[in-house]
Amino acid sequence: MTQASRVTLSSIAIRDFRNIERAELTIPPDGIALVGDNGQGKTNFLEAIAYLELLRSMRGVRDRDLTRFGATAFHIGCVSAGAAVNRVGIGVERTGKKRIMLDGVDTPRLTDALGALPSVCFSPADIALIAGAPAERRRYLDIALALSSKRYLAALRQYRAALARRNAALREAARPGARHSSVAAWEPALAEHGAVIVEERRGWVAEGATEFTRLCADIGERAKMQIEYESPLAAAADVRAALAEALHKGRDHDARRMITHAGPHRDDLAVTLGTRDLRLVGSAGQQRTAAIALRLLEAATFRTRGGAQPVLLLDDPFAELDRKRASRVLALLEESSATGLGQTILCVPREDEIPAAFTRLERWTVRDGVFARVAS
Amino acid sequence: MSAIEDLVTELSRLPTIGKKSALRLTYHLLKQPPEQSRRLAQVLGTLTERVRLCERCFNLTEEQPCTICKDPRRDAATICVVEEASDIAAVERTGEYRGVYHVLGGRLSPLDGIGPDELTVTALVQRVGAGGIREVIVATNPKLEGEATALYVQEQLSSLGVLVSRIALGMPVGGDLEYADGVTIAQAIASRRQMR
Repeated sequence: MTQASRVTLSSIAIRDFRNIERAELTIPPDGIALVGDNGQGKTNFLEAIAYLELLRSMRGVRDRDLTRFGATAFHIGCVSAGAAVNRVGIGVERTGKKRIMLDGVDTPRLTDALGALPSVCFSPADIALIAGAPAERRRYLDIALALSSKRYLAALRQYRAALARRNAALREAARPGARHSSVAAWEPALAEHGAVIVEERRGWVAEGATEFTRLCADIGERAKMQIEYESPLAAAADVRAALAEALHKGRDHDARRMITHAGPHRDDLAVTLGTRDLRLVGSAGQQRTAAIALRLLEAATFRTRGGAQPVLLLDDPFAELDRKRASRVLALLEESSATGLGQTILCVPREDEIPAAFTRLERWTVRDGVFARVAS
Repeated sequence: MSAIEDLVTELSRLPTIGKKSALRLTYHLLKQPPEQSRRLAQVLGTLTERVRLCERCFNLTEEQPCTICKDPRRDAATICVVEEASDIAAVERTGEYRGVYHVLGGRLSPLDGIGPDELTVTALVQRVGAGGIREVIVATNPKLEGEATALYVQEQLSSLGVLVSRIALGMPVGGDLEYADGVTIAQAIASRRQMR
């Protein structure tokens, strides 16, 4: 394995994004610690950085709701080192028009620009990864895999397109007066691309399961925590054939409910404690530990598959962890890579909550969307 | 609304014409002798009056049936199925195909409310069912919706005992493996042929 290169953000410029009217920050190679009360713009700042990777909100907010109130468009630009691209510029108009420049070149296809600035965000909201609905964990899998495998990304896009069409055809067929139905015509595409998704998810979980268990133990969890890929197709030898058959068999049932039931869009990533569902039996601390382990695994995926040590976005990440666990998480972040701790953007509400490992970081404050550097 | 605005609005409804181009075209017309605009208006009128769909193949035509369907030198036992009438022109340009056509009038696109009933598949089934057809070549575009449409057509024809074929997918002539995308190369390898 080649050594992962450390991605560092050297400057970022934000305009009209959420409550940030205008911000330009130069960021040292180690990162910064950003201090501000709740609601002042800390998470918005991290969301802007994550936008450079996902090309959409990491919180699932629609683009037009990201534009600052009263503005017609938002812009995010950055200069970085260590990634495939060194300059990213994004402009998104309220009308939905999105323009992306990579190293000064217009990039009309969004998929070509995905993952331009690799980052992983640790946030208290991650608890939803464990406690939330399966959709949260599918989204997690999709992001980790789509950003590290072109094959997965292509299959995911095709699969979603075919799924939307089959579901529309199911609704169409239920309309009074409809004589012919095209439901079956979408199934070969669903089986072909769905099989790629299932195989890649299965492979990724098999690869990362041991690591996940180890990470949880290292953070300080005594009971054995595990992840398992949960899909009716998980054990199929020929996934494509199995999915094609499931779609064929389910056609009548699907027609009545007007929705497609078989396929990876209903998968889950089960997280268990001992033999039981962590969602049901885990304490808040245990769930938080598992969520952090998933994020560490995400960072590891980018390192091993993408060859890049991502920028770490830490949004008050140790809020609900005891001191011991918090320091272990930091140690894990550090030891996980030969290049040491990735560049870190740490956000905390108060100065005295900056962990010792980060007190050397350059300090900034944010208030009402305005950033200021604290003289050292 | 002024006459200028009216024309700009109408022109910018056309594909690839934006507001700016529409404005430029409008000013251009105003600078030309008035006969030119009158002639344009006249041709547009005749166009909509005369051009109809061919009763047999749904090609655009001024005669019934269209010149292709009527041509005795063409092989009426082979039908090439295309999405749009404009696709016929593309196949005709090759000068290689001597059969006749069938225009579907689009492709399956349930998100836009285009289902099988909106296409001319039923007419195709009747046409083939009436006999005398040896082969149907499905030449819909090799995209998600075109593939699904091809599959649907094949399924509808499957009971009629006619040979249904699909246009080949793979490397374009004069193409470079180095620059082709992975999906295309994979497809080209899957549909390779033996060399003799």
